Amino acid sequence: MTVHTLPKAKSAPRVTPLEVVPNLVRELGGIVHLLTCGSVDDGKSTLIGRMLWDASDLYEDQRESVRRSGRKAAGTDLPDFSMLLDGLVAEREQGITIDIAWKYFDTDTRRFVIIDSPGHEQYTRNMASGASHADVAIVLVDARSGVKKQTKRHAAILDLVGVKHVVLAVNKMDLVGWSQDVFRKIEADFRTLCWKFNFWDATAIPLSAVFGDNVSTASKNMNWYTGSTLIQHLEKVPSRTSEAGSVFRLPVQTVLRDGQDFRGLAGTVTSGSVKVGDVVADALSGAGGKVVRIATMSGDLESASAGQAIALQLDVDIDVSRGAVLSSPEMRPVAAQTIEARFVWLSEDAFSPAAGYLLRTSTDLIPVSNIEIKALLDLETMASNPARGCAANDIAIAKISLGRAAAIDVFSETPETGTLLLVDSVSGATVAGGIATAVNAKAEAPLEGHFVLKRDMLANGINRDLSMSSRDREEFMRRANEVAIILRSAGVPVAIEPPPPIDDGMDPGL
Amino acid sequence: MTVSPSHLDLLEAESIHIFREAAAQFRKPVLLYSIGKDSTVLLHLARKAFFPQALPFPLLHVDTTWKFKEMIAFRNRTAKQLGLDLIVHTNEDGIRRGINPIDHAPSIHTDVLKTQALKQALDKYAFDAAFGGARRDEEASRAKERVFSFRASGHRWDPRRQRPEMWHLLNGRLGTGETVRVFPLSNWTEKDIWRYVLREKLEVVPLYFAAERPTILRNGQLLMQDDARLQPKANEEVVMRKIRFRTLGDYPLTAAVESDADTIEAVVAETVNAQTSEREGRLIDHDQVGAMEKKKQEGYF
Repeated sequence: MTVHTLPKAKSAPRVTPLEVVPNLVRELGGIVHLLTCGSVDDGKSTLIGRMLWDASDLYEDQRESVRRSGRKAAGTDLPDFSMLLDGLVAEREQGITIDIAWKYFDTDTRRFVIIDSPGHEQYTRNMASGASHADVAIVLVDARSGVKKQTKRHAAILDLVGVKHVVLAVNKMDLVGWSQDVFRKIEADFRTLCWKFNFWDATAIPLSAVFGDNVSTASKNMNWYTGSTLIQHLEKVPSRTSEAGSVFRLPVQTVLRDGQDFRGLAGTVTSGSVKVGDVVADALSGAGGKVVRIATMSGDLESASAGQAIALQLDVDIDVSRGAVLSSPEMRPVAAQTIEARFVWLSEDAFSPAAGYLLRTSTDLIPVSNIEIKALLDLETMASNPARGCAANDIAIAKISLGRAAAIDVFSETPETGTLLLVDSVSGATVAGGIATAVNAKAEAPLEGHFVLKRDMLANGINRDLSMSSRDREEFMRRANEVAIILRSAGVPVAIEPPPPIDDGMDPGL
Repeated sequence: MTVSPSHLDLLEAESIHIFREAAAQFRKPVLLYSIGKDSTVLLHLARKAFFPQALPFPLLHVDTTWKFKEMIAFRNRTAKQLGLDLIVHTNEDGIRRGINPIDHAPSIHTDVLKTQALKQALDKYAFDAAFGGARRDEEASRAKERVFSFRASGHRWDPRRQRPEMWHLLNGRLGTGETVRVFPLSNWTEKDIWRYVLREKLEVVPLYFAAERPTILRNGQLLMQDDARLQPKANEEVVMRKIRFRTLGDYPLTAAVESDADTIEAVVAETVNAQTSEREGRLIDHDQVGAMEKKKQEGYF
């Protein structure tokens, strides 16, 4: 390719300043992450395009290109709004395994982030991955066909990753004569379906994406509908951060020092709040101290709550580093040795008992000594079918034994610190994403038939140069895990001897 | 807390979170500093992430030798004022071969003096992670970019190796030979950048503000004659016009807009009301169909 001519503009470009500048440093009242689920046939691109066209601050050149193209929505004389998504569609050839596109628009009050994941065959992992970021999901159905099996799968995935607000967009109402009866039937089916899940709010809205009815302007064709338009509804949906629980959690990302006496435990508050004077504790050791300073570059704070990135200085130096989770002394997360989890298998490579896996929590990376797959979840019946393995797009129910204790919450109670990734320890790839459904401070005995790497054997041999410091305890487990990986890849079933229970006065890492 | 955080507060906190995750997980990160407004915001957020500690990584500027003079002056001033560890790298081999943006196609110039130069510098210092200011709203091919974008050995961007990102969990475990580009501004828009510059009272390169400058109208685009290397062709002339820039790069490849916005407030007002997206002014993007896509696979930001 040797083409290098520049496109000709008609005249030198000129930005026209408008006379009225509304509210210069306009800060919008929050960010809402919006997932759209549905297939191309349901009119997903048209709906997103219509929302951008009607409600957002699109650039004029983007509007002009839609007008100029002359492309019409099927069977109408209206512009084809799905064109606004073309930039994303054109990227389909990239071949990214998990395919999520992000698009941004502002209304007068809020920033909307559209998370677009394609709905084709591999959609479970795509959708789960996209939905994990969503505050609200729009489940799109065609008014002519109503709630389908697929709708149920969508709801199940949304529920799994913790989406609490769901909107059923009943699209193409124009094609059913704007019939209230049709809508009420679909709405009732949807309600019945939602009873099975943990949604806080599930609302059905009748609309037409092509004609714009009830997208941002109330429909004149459906006077029987008195509820909100889609945009009105979305502008009121609370974000996940604003709904984070009241239990304080701060996963420590790093420790900051100023070279003098400042030692700040830095991280983002994931739920609850903290204020100067509060006593906070390390979830694993129970060691705690009083907050004397909440530092940020913009000035010290009196208090901080979910979503804020801060650094806490305590009145005493406690031995914590990255991976620790700070909480109130009374409401600590469990120092988990085994967890029950549900996860979506994301990798092309199926689960292998011989592979070495690591568990990533908010800021910790924990060696896994064993994963026992127990069942796969059928998203249409919600039945769990016994299984020993799993592959891409499966939802697995498993028991995970950890190489050392880690602070993990039950997802349904404290979501942000109950999310997990499984990482392939050799390639580094993220192979699965999931949630903790139960946490147990008691270690499991290694499985029958496994070669067991004994802790005293490790301590006297490969780890004999290590001390009891938290850094060395981490190194202890890292080496143990590396040995296990090497043995597994040589075909030896191997388990690392679980550490003794944390509360028996012995060192937690060993 | 009675006031709920604004969208800028949330974006800021997210960026700080990303900086801290990357600095904790990677062995030797570097911040790619390109002097423009996005880099200014990126640097400011990095300082916030590690306050009161000094930045735990250096800055790297890939200098093509074709940047606006005012950009270089601003870079040096900023590094001095903030006491930053600044590395400047130029592809000397490319310069010796005489590659330049006036005689060569923008794609060749960019490949040699930007993409190759960047790879050279990353290899030379063995950086395993590089922070960049790319945003998902910039261009369609970036809309799917991850926050941690993995590169196989040779800095190749392999779509199949891109890791799914769920919740706020960032997995930075590197496979053999892998490096990573980290994008803390992924979820910011152009308007957010300007609003944040205004809110935080950040100093930016004066070229963003309108002033009388010597210009040449070429192929419908306004270029600034920053030095004698850019000369008018037979049917062209150098005319003083009141112009400013929406993006900054190599001056022969960066189109200006005529504007009267000579204060930060006026610039923000213009941007918020702009009728075209900012990449209109970036000539390298128009060079080839799918240009950005191709550059990304080759290792450009």
